[in-house]
Amino acid sequence: MTEFVRDKHISCLKRNLTLLPRQYASNDTNRMTLGFFCLSGLDLLGALESEISEERRNAWIDWIYAQQILPDENNPEVNEKICGFRGSPFSGLSFDPNGTRESRLPFDAANLAMTYTALTSLLILGDDLSRVNRSSIINSLKYLQRDDGSFTQTYQGMEADMRFLYCAVVISYILNDFSGINIEKAIEYIKNSQSYDFGIGQGPGEESHGGSTYCAISSLYMLNKLDEGLLSKEKTLFWLISRQESGFQGRANKPTDTCYSFWIGASLKILDKFELIDYEQNYNFLMQTQTKFGGFAKSIDNNYPDVMHTYFGIAGLSLMNVSGLLELDPVINISKKAKENLLNNCVFHKQN
Amino acid sequence: MTLEAEVWNDITPIPQDDGPDPLAPIAYDTEYTKAMDYFRAISQKDERSERALELTEKIIEYNPAHYTIWHYRQQILFSLNKNLYEELEFVKDQIDNNPKNYQLWHHRQVLVEKLKDASRELPFINEILNDDAKNYHAWTYRQWVIRTFNLWDDELDFVNKLLDKDVRNNSAWNQRYFTIFFNPTKPTDEFLAQEIDYVIEKIKMTPNNISPWNYIKGIIAKSNKDINILEGLCKEIEEQNIISPHALGCLVDIYESRARNGSTADKEEGIKICAILAEKHDTIRKKYWEYRKVILVSL
Repeated sequence: MTEFVRDKHISCLKRNLTLLPRQYASNDTNRMTLGFFCLSGLDLLGALESEISEERRNAWIDWIYAQQILPDENNPEVNEKICGFRGSPFSGLSFDPNGTRESRLPFDAANLAMTYTALTSLLILGDDLSRVNRSSIINSLKYLQRDDGSFTQTYQGMEADMRFLYCAVVISYILNDFSGINIEKAIEYIKNSQSYDFGIGQGPGEESHGGSTYCAISSLYMLNKLDEGLLSKEKTLFWLISRQESGFQGRANKPTDTCYSFWIGASLKILDKFELIDYEQNYNFLMQTQTKFGGFAKSIDNNYPDVMHTYFGIAGLSLMNVSGLLELDPVINISKKAKENLLNNCVFHKQN
Repeated sequence: MTLEAEVWNDITPIPQDDGPDPLAPIAYDTEYTKAMDYFRAISQKDERSERALELTEKIIEYNPAHYTIWHYRQQILFSLNKNLYEELEFVKDQIDNNPKNYQLWHHRQVLVEKLKDASRELPFINEILNDDAKNYHAWTYRQWVIRTFNLWDDELDFVNKLLDKDVRNNSAWNQRYFTIFFNPTKPTDEFLAQEIDYVIEKIKMTPNNISPWNYIKGIIAKSNKDINILEGLCKEIEEQNIISPHALGCLVDIYESRARNGSTADKEEGIKICAILAEKHDTIRKKYWEYRKVILVSL
């Protein structure tokens, strides 16, 4: 298959936005991110407005805001740590498109990755973020940063690594307020996570990995610290460019995988070196992981598509300016159109 | 395991309120919905009981990535003073079925922190690595165990065995670096000299394996040695008519560093090799080697 089946991808993503198959229950708490993959995919395909009615888009904006945990004057001590967005309404509160203030549920808390994909989904849907409670989200970040500079995803104390450091930085970037982050410590963490091969791991001592390398490079870009944070830009470039085998692998001597066309590709784009890759081989690889009924699979020998690889397949092609696709902002990971919405219409940027 | 109605008859289940037009709703299995409805009801009261513990197990069956459920389960286990060694067995079975799930590995870490006993950990991780020697979660956890419980002594032997089995295992090379350079006992110069010999042998075995090339460049930089010491190795590979883009790429690095110190001959040699890599031996990185060539020309 060498043709990009644009229409099939559109129907596949529309189908998933309406109902995800049962096996996605294992990602129930990450529904916001699954929704983001579908919305951003449709947006990059240039089909969000033409395929989804305005009424429905507005209903989804309400659904996203319903997952927001707002400040609660009755219980400020606990509440301060849990503000932001949940991934889904699993904790049991009633639907409220203005967000919920109830903070007496002991197991209800926002999650950094969900806050990030809630904000990007709102921007994609054309919202101006006017219902987002900026100060409470920025304040909650202080409780999530560890002494070593990394971030954990919720105050309930799960693992802390480069993924959530990126989420904290990109949330601050979107909300135009970095006061919730100890930037010096964050930079230190990124520096310490650079491996002997100048790729970047999830943490100090860990193996260089395409996903964590992207998180680190993109964070440094947003913090305006690329020169200080990368110990050797040229050697990191060599590590990135060495990952291409046809498509891209995430680590040395590992098989190629659809999603690394984005993780490695976007990292190179941020470093302004994307033109050094072999476009044709990357394109051909993605045409082989594309499935004929729409969607992308992880690899060539696995032909079952999922929303994550579908999104990253489309995003990977968008980085190469394939026709029929909107251009991608590699830093926030949304279309340039949605990024313009952030800069021109969003309440936290317009006023500055 | 099924949820028995009589255990729950004092509880009014709370359904999920997903609003009029939800984003990406999931076609939940009825059993999962039922279990979550009970969870919503009892977690609001922070109930910590045997039935709550069983309920978390039921939910985990469908959604092992449910970090809130794991957090709830931990609170219940600690409140009921449960035998955490039994819980280690439970999480072992879970990881066997889901070896790439962040929450499971984190749960194990929470238990071991609480127990302050890591005696079962390395054998357990070895089993997981036996199935997939590149499992990132297993390595992350292994590094935590080694650092926290100071278990550095046998790690190099372990890494040696993994590299004997698969010299292309980059995770094992990374662990080698971790074992030597993150160890509180710093390596001696003599040790490092032997280490370089060890890697050179491995490179000679598989000159097209990028992992030891990256590693050797890394330890040379870390021990403040000069990359020039690899010139002999690169030339030797070339003379045997073995085509290794890694050896050629290493020569480009060597010549570039000398060209920066003013050597025109090395500059010319470097430009020549960039052209060979771009045109013949590493064509997927054609544009990269042309970029390196432009840098050399500008020196």
